[in-house]
Amino acid sequence: MIKHAPRSRLFAAIVALLAHSSAARIASADEWPDRPLTLFDDRVVLGGEALVTAAPEDEGFFNYTDYDRSALRLVRLGVTTSVRANEHLSFLAEVRAEGDTGAGAWSGEPYALLVRVRPWLNRSFELQAGRIPPAFGGFLRRSYGRDNPLIGYPLAYQYLTTLRADALPRHADDLLERRGTGWYTGYNVGSAGWTHGVPLISAFRYDTGVLGRYASASNRVELLGSVTTGTLSRPRVRDDNGSPQVAGRVVLRPLTGLVAGLSAARGAFLANDVTYALSEGGRASEYAQRTLGADVEYSRGYAVVRAEWVHASWRLPALEEPALTDALGAGSLSVEGRYTLAPGFYVAARADRLWFSTVSGTYGSAPWDADVSRLEAGAGYSLIRNVIIKGSYQYNRRDGGRVRRAHYGAAQLVLWF
Amino acid sequence: MVLKSAARTAALLTLAFALTPPVAGQPVRSIIRGQVSIDLAETVVRRPSPTDPGEPLTRDAADQRRAVVYFETAPRGAFEDRDANRARLDQRNERFVPRVVAVTVGSTVDFPNNDRTYHNVFSLSKTKRFDLGRYAAGHSKSVRFDRPGIVRVFCDIHSHMNAFILVFAHRYFSVTDASGRYEIDGVPPGTYTLSAWFDGSVRDQKTVTVTPDARVLEVDFNAR
Repeated sequence: MIKHAPRSRLFAAIVALLAHSSAARIASADEWPDRPLTLFDDRVVLGGEALVTAAPEDEGFFNYTDYDRSALRLVRLGVTTSVRANEHLSFLAEVRAEGDTGAGAWSGEPYALLVRVRPWLNRSFELQAGRIPPAFGGFLRRSYGRDNPLIGYPLAYQYLTTLRADALPRHADDLLERRGTGWYTGYNVGSAGWTHGVPLISAFRYDTGVLGRYASASNRVELLGSVTTGTLSRPRVRDDNGSPQVAGRVVLRPLTGLVAGLSAARGAFLANDVTYALSEGGRASEYAQRTLGADVEYSRGYAVVRAEWVHASWRLPALEEPALTDALGAGSLSVEGRYTLAPGFYVAARADRLWFSTVSGTYGSAPWDADVSRLEAGAGYSLIRNVIIKGSYQYNRRDGGRVRRAHYGAAQLVLWF
Repeated sequence: MVLKSAARTAALLTLAFALTPPVAGQPVRSIIRGQVSIDLAETVVRRPSPTDPGEPLTRDAADQRRAVVYFETAPRGAFEDRDANRARLDQRNERFVPRVVAVTVGSTVDFPNNDRTYHNVFSLSKTKRFDLGRYAAGHSKSVRFDRPGIVRVFCDIHSHMNAFILVFAHRYFSVTDASGRYEIDGVPPGTYTLSAWFDGSVRDQKTVTVTPDARVLEVDFNAR
């Protein structure tokens, strides 16, 4: 699942990419790297982002991602290349090399790999096919280091719950025993190994499928729809349950500076690994993740305020008593603000809450995973236009698990072009 | 590189005070004009992103080819001559129009937003750091430029938007028109170094001697 490249090979790849970028600039621009590099009469455009993050060890695993690394210790080099065949057809690939400054866990693979088709040049309509961003939520479209005013991610997009698609709790007690251990969990039904659970939505990998986007002439209304192989919590390259996810998103811009979005998605969650445990005639595709989201952004002058609500529910098979008869729900609310104090200098803060529905076990009822709260505040300073240094302080609180409270300071350097 | 170029230009403009050539008694003022040849129009493309629409940006090739011809060494007294004025840098179709503005020190540049969307004009240049915040269509904000040098202007929301403001300590400069022509008038006799600047750096230089009887001098540049 995760390709761990040797560190030396990864660094060699990074050096090769930088060397390639440097060679390209000579033909395109006398300053580097504050704009995309262009080749062949703008047919090929290269952009990129490199970030290095440093923070103390996350002993509570509050910031661990579905790539087994901490979002507060993330190292990433991403290069995005767009190749325009003609006015109707283009290709885009984003390749990322990522690792953790402490744990390693290095990997390199395509993050996005898609073909773009614009059937009509006079209409704002396009189709994407390949490894694509799903048509859901506000944060997925600004998860790059340059766009994220802080270092951490919203809980809904990063925090690992105790749910797994390839292993099932036999009953409610199984689930309740593992509250607050989403970074490393396992169950007796399905895959035997222990690994991380899934977030509500993964911000660290894209799904595979087809996406359509339409915007009105005034751009006040934007519609997105996608059909993909995985789910928001578990994007996939290859289908492993024979049932796709359907997602849709409506974006409204009624006033300048105000953006509101509504999203919905439904997709089969369980992998085929667990179908043997289902009752006769049961199909993995019946056990779905349903997700709803609403997000709003308002900006004016030097301030930007955003809020996003996400609710996900997963239906799991009721195998043994005390059975999981109801869908498992999880809700998240995130509110963030950013204020520019001086040219190139801003302050930002985000308050986050993630909560879970209650299940009944042998010894009583409790949320099926431990609720989490997070407060992060920080600042960013642009050394030059495309080099940003950020610092932030993060406080996490969890109603379960081994570590219930944790404070972290983090620093990040972001370079983009 | 840009900042180096800006700093170098600022230094050259400042040095111009000390390097002023002699002026003959009551000279005839001449015109220097000509053509700046540019092969490549600077490209304006979106950063490739899977989450941004892939629609191409509208382009104005003529505007992208604007160059600036200026005196590296200005005539004596040029710095008293300069007139502060007012210029305009529009935001339209997710572009700054024109892409190059040249003004004298003390001038004010207006930044009207003529788009349907917000823009956030800012600069982190040493010559002038400013951030105008987000403001909607029909609104305008202004910045006064008190130091000579090059100011790179960007939009914080649309990373492909960029423009240059060149601030001169004298009035002996000209921005090329759509066909690449420039004209600098009222030039007193003397020997001058003229530079053709394009897209962040000086691309060509010529030394020109203006004699007392000269009326019009044709000086072409190759900024390729």
